[in-house]
Amino acid sequence: MSLGARTAFVLLPLLAFMAVLWTAATQPLPLDIHVPWIPALGVHLDFHIDGLTLLMLLLITGIGVAVFVYAGGYLAGHPQQKRLYILLSFFMVAMIGTVMADNLIVLFLFWEATSVLSFLLVGFNHEDPKSRKSAQQALVVTGSGGLALLAGILLLGQNMGTFSIQEIIAQLPYTEHTPLLTAALLLIILGAFTKSAQFPFHFWLPGAMAAPTPVSAYLHSATMVKLGVYLLARLDPGFGGWELWQWTLQIFGSFTAAWAMLLALRERDLKRILAWSTVATLGTLVMLVGMDGHGASVAVSALLLAHALYKAPLFFVAGNVDHGTGTRIIDRLGNLRHAMPLTAAAAALAGLSMAGIPLSFGYVVKDVVGQADALGALSELVKVANTIFAAVAVAVAAVAAVRVFWRHPGHNITPPDAHEGGVALWAPPLVLACIGISLGVAPFMADWLLGVAAEAMTPRAEAVAVHFALEFSLGSLLSLALTVGIGAAVFIYWDPLHRRFDRLLARFDTLSTPAQYERFINGIPVWSSRSTRWLQHGELPGYSTLMVGFVTALLAGILLAGWGHWLWPQWVAPSTGFVLACLLIVSGALLAVFQRDRLVLLLCSGLVGYGSAVFFMYTGAPDVAYTQFVVESVFVIVLASVLLKLKLAGRGQGMPKPHTSPWAFPLAVAFGAVVTVIMLVSFSAAFNTQLTDFFAQVSVPEAHGRNVVNVVLVDFRALDTLGEIAVVMLSFLAALPVLHAVRAHMLRQKKSTQEGSKA
Amino acid sequence: MNRRVVILESISRPLYVAILLASVWVLLRGHNEPGGGFIGGLLAVNASILWAVAHGSDAAALRLPYGSPLRLTVIGLGIGILSGIPALIVGDPFLTHIWGYIPLGFTELKVSTVIIFDLGVYFTVWGALAGYALALLGVDESIKGRDMTQDGSASK
Repeated sequence: MSLGARTAFVLLPLLAFMAVLWTAATQPLPLDIHVPWIPALGVHLDFHIDGLTLLMLLLITGIGVAVFVYAGGYLAGHPQQKRLYILLSFFMVAMIGTVMADNLIVLFLFWEATSVLSFLLVGFNHEDPKSRKSAQQALVVTGSGGLALLAGILLLGQNMGTFSIQEIIAQLPYTEHTPLLTAALLLIILGAFTKSAQFPFHFWLPGAMAAPTPVSAYLHSATMVKLGVYLLARLDPGFGGWELWQWTLQIFGSFTAAWAMLLALRERDLKRILAWSTVATLGTLVMLVGMDGHGASVAVSALLLAHALYKAPLFFVAGNVDHGTGTRIIDRLGNLRHAMPLTAAAAALAGLSMAGIPLSFGYVVKDVVGQADALGALSELVKVANTIFAAVAVAVAAVAAVRVFWRHPGHNITPPDAHEGGVALWAPPLVLACIGISLGVAPFMADWLLGVAAEAMTPRAEAVAVHFALEFSLGSLLSLALTVGIGAAVFIYWDPLHRRFDRLLARFDTLSTPAQYERFINGIPVWSSRSTRWLQHGELPGYSTLMVGFVTALLAGILLAGWGHWLWPQWVAPSTGFVLACLLIVSGALLAVFQRDRLVLLLCSGLVGYGSAVFFMYTGAPDVAYTQFVVESVFVIVLASVLLKLKLAGRGQGMPKPHTSPWAFPLAVAFGAVVTVIMLVSFSAAFNTQLTDFFAQVSVPEAHGRNVVNVVLVDFRALDTLGEIAVVMLSFLAALPVLHAVRAHMLRQKKSTQEGSKA
Repeated sequence: MNRRVVILESISRPLYVAILLASVWVLLRGHNEPGGGFIGGLLAVNASILWAVAHGSDAAALRLPYGSPLRLTVIGLGIGILSGIPALIVGDPFLTHIWGYIPLGFTELKVSTVIIFDLGVYFTVWGALAGYALALLGVDESIKGRDMTQDGSASK
């Protein structure tokens, strides 16, 4: 792609970023936009922009600019760079839609769009089987979570009587905790957990590192994976008071934070190490959302911003290292600062923020996070998780900034051909990291933004003026010293720790969630082939026995369940035509049972068809009778000619042997009895003539037709009919390749046997 | 290998036309009398099956309007969708049918988008169901040994 085309694509997030800034500067918050869409379902394109949305929008578009610039350099000359840009653009739009939507259904649509686009982006190098597998894993996990979310959204919307998020969170605190609402809550949490890679769904995010680095930086650190956190934070004003909510989020969040950080120790790939620390940060965010109070909300918004400002640059750094040396394995990297000075600077600045060293934004945020209140019973757990998280974060930051670019204990190797990339590669991480540092030196610059964001998460709380300041209290310095101390120790002993830890965990690998997932995925074809062999055995008598048996059992169940409520009809003397029709049907059916020749069998079954046509004639449905006559005659004639032809060709002389199943007779009797009883009781119920009367009245004046059936089909319910013929066409389209393949196979087989006989 | 049924082959020509005429008649009278696009299409399918039995399934496919069941189906669906467009232009909901009267002196002819819609149904049903039947017959022919060449004629 030319530089001009790249610039044009970069303009997209840049303009969006400008628009967001303009909105923030000139429009009063919150800003509501309402566009009617499907009023009958209560679904409108409602958008609500408050502080939280604004923060997310700034991240999406701001980091978006960096990512778009970076992608230009990272994939320079790649034949499919344009595809990446197009997908990224769509992804950005989907993200913007998700965070702006006020209607839960609209939010879900954009949410799913991000999942699908993430699938396409993770699988960008689709010729690599590993990349395809990662993409599939990401889609299966987030897609299944999306289904849970949809169920939760529908439950929530139905119980609250609205799909508007703002209305729901305003009412929820005053709503009774019904079991259905609890189910909705759990389903929504499930959906958010899959998206934000919380335990036990944490494994897909490091797996998704098969994506190109710009994608990882954008989707898997700065924006998409934060959607789960965003949704939880969005609903927190409504559910925040529920104990179940607080317990679930705090336990799972803090466990994910600690566990994912420890799992980072198992990795040797710089990008995967960063991915695990991202999972851990998401855990901390979820935990903070689960905490009550304004302090926690401030911490959520501050950590959202800080994490994007240090993790995206670190991903870029990992990408640069990969780009400049051809590897991301930390054993083969060291002393890169000479070859890649600018990347080294970006890594150092971002690493400072990640480690929470004073004069970086990370330090300010760490202080705020430490002050958020946990549930009394959980405060110890949260404290431990926080400490592990902060300490290993220091070590991870040191790995990314020191180990790769300076040195580490032991033998250091520098790849000989290491080199710095172009400006598009080093500028984005450097700029983002510098912003992180400037916010650390002058944290008051973030006061307003994080204040409105926190306010959106706790609207009931008194508006507390948020003020970030650079403070060096004894407590925060002490905890800093503790985490940096542990972190430095972990960094120095990274390699021995890695070996021990890896050996320990390898023993439990078969129990781990990725292994379970693998088993599940591999089990699908096994189970489907088993069930197919059992159900689709290819024997028609077996199929019909199963189907008729199932219907009989179902109808019998319905009959028995409502036995006391049925009304029985009174005896009415049947007319001659009625008796005649019944005789025709019964004799046709009885004759058919004893036939061995297919042609006679066909004629006998035709007798049943004619019998029903006569029956229709005497029961006031001449048009149905007419149709039945036509179809039956043509059907019998055509089928008879086919059978005759088959006979001439020497096939289908009749059934090879009388095939009787011991089940057939009792099943047939039971089916007939059940259907008869159903007909009897349904006829004696009062018949609602409302629709019949309506169509009889309006058919001629409104649709100019006397045939009510046809008028309903082509006019009153024309859209349904259109759908039906579309289904007819689609089924044909689906069957065509199969039938053609069978035919081609047969022809090939014949050809080969012919050639064989000739030879 | 190939056995021909001469009587069937010769009678299939007039029968084909007769069944199609009947199906069109059923299609057209559908609005006021029993009939309509679905049943008309079904009748037309029978004509195609008859042709396939007499002359082979590929020949029957070629004899369909537009020369292929798939094309006929797609065009049918397209006609069905198009018949809903005039309503959009007038400002009514999609598929609201429009009626017009053409005075002929002694009587007036009613024309409407309904018949276009029904024609779409007729084509789709004809194309898809005939396509199914012809494809199945084709499989059968390839087993039986009636070789079909690319142009659809039966090789001797």
